[in-house]
Amino acid sequence: MVNSLIKILPESSVIMCIVLTPLLGCCLVTLLQKKRLLEIISVVSSTFILFLTFILFLYVVEFKKITLFNEFFYIDSLSMIVLLLISFVSFVSSIYSINYMGKQFEDGIVDDRHLVRYYQGFNIFIFTMLLVPTINNTGLMWVAVEATTLISVLLIMIYVKEDAIRSAWKYLIIATVGLSFALIGTVFFYYANISDQMEPAQSVEDKINWTSMLENSRAFDPIIVKIAFIFIIIGYGTKAGIAPMHTWLPDAHSESPTPISAMLSGVLLNCALYGILRFYLISSGSIGAEFSDNLLIIFGLMSVGIASFSILFQKDMKRMLAYSSVEHIGIVTLAFGFGGLIGIYGAILHMINHALVKPLMFFASGKISQKYETKAMIKIRGIVTNMPITGIVFLIGGLAIVGLPPFNIFLSKFMILYSGFSSDNILASMVLIILLAIVFIGFIRNLIMMSFGKPKTPIKNGELGILSVVAMVMLVAFVVILGIYIPEPLDILINDAANIFKQV
Amino acid sequence: MVYNNLLIFLSGTLLISTIVLVIKREFSGWIQAYRYQTIVLTIITVVIGYITNNWEIYVAATITFSLKALIVPRLLIKVTENISYDFKNETKPYLSIRTLLVGSAILVALSYFSTQQIRLGDDVIAMSFLPVSISLLLIGLLVMVGRKVTLNQIVGLLILENGLFLFVLSLTHGISLIIEIGIFIDILVGIVISSILIHRIGYTFDDINDVNQSHENLEYTEELD
Repeated sequence: MVNSLIKILPESSVIMCIVLTPLLGCCLVTLLQKKRLLEIISVVSSTFILFLTFILFLYVVEFKKITLFNEFFYIDSLSMIVLLLISFVSFVSSIYSINYMGKQFEDGIVDDRHLVRYYQGFNIFIFTMLLVPTINNTGLMWVAVEATTLISVLLIMIYVKEDAIRSAWKYLIIATVGLSFALIGTVFFYYANISDQMEPAQSVEDKINWTSMLENSRAFDPIIVKIAFIFIIIGYGTKAGIAPMHTWLPDAHSESPTPISAMLSGVLLNCALYGILRFYLISSGSIGAEFSDNLLIIFGLMSVGIASFSILFQKDMKRMLAYSSVEHIGIVTLAFGFGGLIGIYGAILHMINHALVKPLMFFASGKISQKYETKAMIKIRGIVTNMPITGIVFLIGGLAIVGLPPFNIFLSKFMILYSGFSSDNILASMVLIILLAIVFIGFIRNLIMMSFGKPKTPIKNGELGILSVVAMVMLVAFVVILGIYIPEPLDILINDAANIFKQV
Repeated sequence: MVYNNLLIFLSGTLLISTIVLVIKREFSGWIQAYRYQTIVLTIITVVIGYITNNWEIYVAATITFSLKALIVPRLLIKVTENISYDFKNETKPYLSIRTLLVGSAILVALSYFSTQQIRLGDDVIAMSFLPVSISLLLIGLLVMVGRKVTLNQIVGLLILENGLFLFVLSLTHGISLIIEIGIFIDILVGIVISSILIHRIGYTFDDINDVNQSHENLEYTEELD
């Protein structure tokens, strides 16, 4: 079936359409400045991207890897997973945006000009994120990651509020400095690739490509590789929200418009993590996995630790969710450090699961804070009685995120812990269990308090808009389904991605 | 080596211009110093281009000069025109100028020491400019930490970016042009965004301390009923 499909839709046109659609969307948004049209364009373009990504997904499952333009675009199973997440989350976000930004527009928080700027930024943000996993050239990948920072700063700045300006500034400065380190790391890897032992350094165009680096990784100078990987993990780790470089994350995620929070948290962190993973593969190929594994375990554990105590004492709903992102990225990092086929499988599954649950939580919390007109958890009571669907969705998301059994995160957390205990990392796994228990206590307490009880000031019952409910229900469906059954093509894709790690 | 003396002279000049940038207190003063530092950097770029005989480096030098010596200073001067004195000028930095100076000297020594650990072969350009670029990066970070006024964190960021440019150039002798242009565009957009932010900070915040303080809203305190 795939073979006949590829004749109708060749892979080159599919990739080009995926990359160019958001740009076209941005142009159309700039030209047609009507509110209704902006919303339609964004939804149509993200639907189209999702459709094409799904086709590409079938191709990658069939052919394992797809290259284009002399390996300028290089898509293997690992990049395909990130691509799927980007397109799916941006699709649900675009649906949710209509409702959320529409409500902000009615309330007079944003005006026409802001709305146009929001949808332009939204499309360009998707474009820059799509470039990260598809490009083979590590230098251009850095440029794309830096571009995601800049465009998301612009999206946070939509609101002219003190808090938004403060957090945008913090995000811009910390992420830019952090990414400078990532560029240093990238250049060190490139230097290791161009400097043969005998010949003096010669600049060759293809040698900055990831495939070329992986091929030659055995001949790299071990000292340079070690320095370079430390720079990479600090650099892309800043963007991925790994503690102790996570300080920008709670501010940026809580101050941006909710659909953007969902995308920042669900997929942008994964994009940055993808950068670390690419260089992790090169460094394991060069000096063995032990050095980089230990670094990943240390940073991962630190993230989970800091995030767990921050969640315990959190008063703001969106900040709590942001710290929960730090925690989950920490768990994924830790799992890649544990290694082993089950550990890597669990880590990749956890990336997917987190990218489904966290947007769900952000969407629900956005609706809740619009309804109650506050983000302080102390003031929010009785969501389930006031907004039945949102309340139940919020409850499901919360239970899923702490890892209770019928939902998807339980499965991946179980795999990660299993691989931790079976790979001589007993201490790290035990600490992880204790920290997860702390997260559980902090999260569940707030969740129960907000969901039940009686509101302090009487609030009119009822949902806010049908479209937000549609977006949330779609996510809930995936959360429940992936908890009990992983579809076969997805299973093959994750296995292929895990095998990439096994080969080096 | 024929160029050895020239390279050492140039790296010394760049370090001196960086130190001048560190000790400036006024906003207008450091913009001027930044312009001089960028001009020195441009000369270094041209020399590297001449030695390696690579035309792409000349393009990079042209972009560096026009972007960082002409556009960025003008932009920053323009957006800060209407901002009050307290927002621009460092009256009480976290680290005094004296401490910064001593710290910078230590960092320069440290970067020369640490780059000795890397085997560079007999690459003259990398040997003379790699330590300088690392020290520029470290000094940039120190300046960012040391300044209290939010606006002046940009000083550190710009020093850091110059260091980054020199680092890439000295180690790789010109990464491919498309990547360099990408990096330049990122820098330019970053500076534009930060100047919009500066502009907004200028009229949104009444007091300079507002920008730095973490917010403690009354909203979160528990009500007794």
